[in-house]
Amino acid sequence: MMQSAPFNYRRIIIWIGRLVLAAIFIYAGYAKITMGRSPRPPLGVALGFFEMQVSSYQILSREASRFVAHTLPFAEIALGLLLLIGWQLRIWATLITLIIGGFFASVVRAYAMGLQINCGCFAKPEPLDGMTVLRDGALLLLAVLMTVFVYMEARKPHPWNAAESPTL
Amino acid sequence: MEESVNRRLPVVSASLLTLIACGTLLLAVPPDQKSQTASSTAKKTAAPKTPEAPAVSTATITVSGVADIDPTKAFGSKSAPVVVEIYSDFQCPACKQLFLNTTQKVMENYVNTGKVYLVHRDFPLPMHAYSRVAASYSRAAAHIGKCEPVEQALFQNQEKWETNGDVKGTVASVLSPAEMKKVQALVDAKTLEPLIEKDKQLGQTVPITQTPTSVFHSRGQNYPYAGTLNYDVLKDFLDQLVAQK
Repeated sequence: MMQSAPFNYRRIIIWIGRLVLAAIFIYAGYAKITMGRSPRPPLGVALGFFEMQVSSYQILSREASRFVAHTLPFAEIALGLLLLIGWQLRIWATLITLIIGGFFASVVRAYAMGLQINCGCFAKPEPLDGMTVLRDGALLLLAVLMTVFVYMEARKPHPWNAAESPTL
Repeated sequence: MEESVNRRLPVVSASLLTLIACGTLLLAVPPDQKSQTASSTAKKTAAPKTPEAPAVSTATITVSGVADIDPTKAFGSKSAPVVVEIYSDFQCPACKQLFLNTTQKVMENYVNTGKVYLVHRDFPLPMHAYSRVAASYSRAAAHIGKCEPVEQALFQNQEKWETNGDVKGTVASVLSPAEMKKVQALVDAKTLEPLIEKDKQLGQTVPITQTPTSVFHSRGQNYPYAGTLNYDVLKDFLDQLVAQK
């Protein structure tokens, strides 16, 4: 049975992906709730502001925009923590990749349509431009690689749990 | 003896007459009048070519901590709990969309009900050839009390005047000849240009990276938002701001 080496390139990318994406997700969720201010504004104001940014992409209905605005920040924080912990990694890595993929598609669409909108990614107002597309594309690539390698590594026994080779 | 007196008499008489004449001349034309005459003559010869601009005030006000507001480009109650500044460019398509689809409803439902004090800020972008001219005409119209009809005309006919540059004609179409004369005089005199420059400087402190940009002020906090705004979603946000305690 093939054995997974403890430090191969797949595991390195998995670790980089987990750390980078977890940090980004946790910060993004926190920034949306606090708007980068201290003391933070009332939650209704912060989520209302984020709802305007979600709505500006002109993809979702008003109700869907409101649902996303009121759930995504908390989901981002939770997913970031789960990714960091590493529990049930395949599930959360897949979910994070799907979320990043969906967001990347929205960004590309908005950019192609020439929408003059705010990215809405973090607290600081950030116009949606070519750099936003490149940045989110890089994050998506990292997330895809991380998820693929997580599945590949999951098929192989962990080197610490591998059965001993039979003696001759 | 008599001969010497007779010989001196004409000389003395002539001298006296000369003295009297000189004294009369000096008393009749004082030095000041001479210089004033010269200057008034100079003024008369250099008459102004354009009509004098009407006297307008360029004073600005502060409302709820938001400074340098031109009161002629602001609407609503100064005691409103929320102040909204909208930085826009008359030649910007997104600004047109915001003005026609959203701002009008905000005026009806929030400004007129005392919930929002709305401030229009000019932020003409350098890549738009006629936006500065449009801002000048709009500002001048605001100072004669015709802000709304002129802004409406400029945004509604944006595609037309940005092609042919006829901002003046667009503005004239909604003003009477007398009003247009006043507006033109203000534009020509550049009396209100410092107010437009002030708006631009304030925008750079936000900082404005695109138009339109709206800055919401409530309870000492400001929330800048770049891009167009859907009224239904904006409504929820404004309700949240107004409801803050």
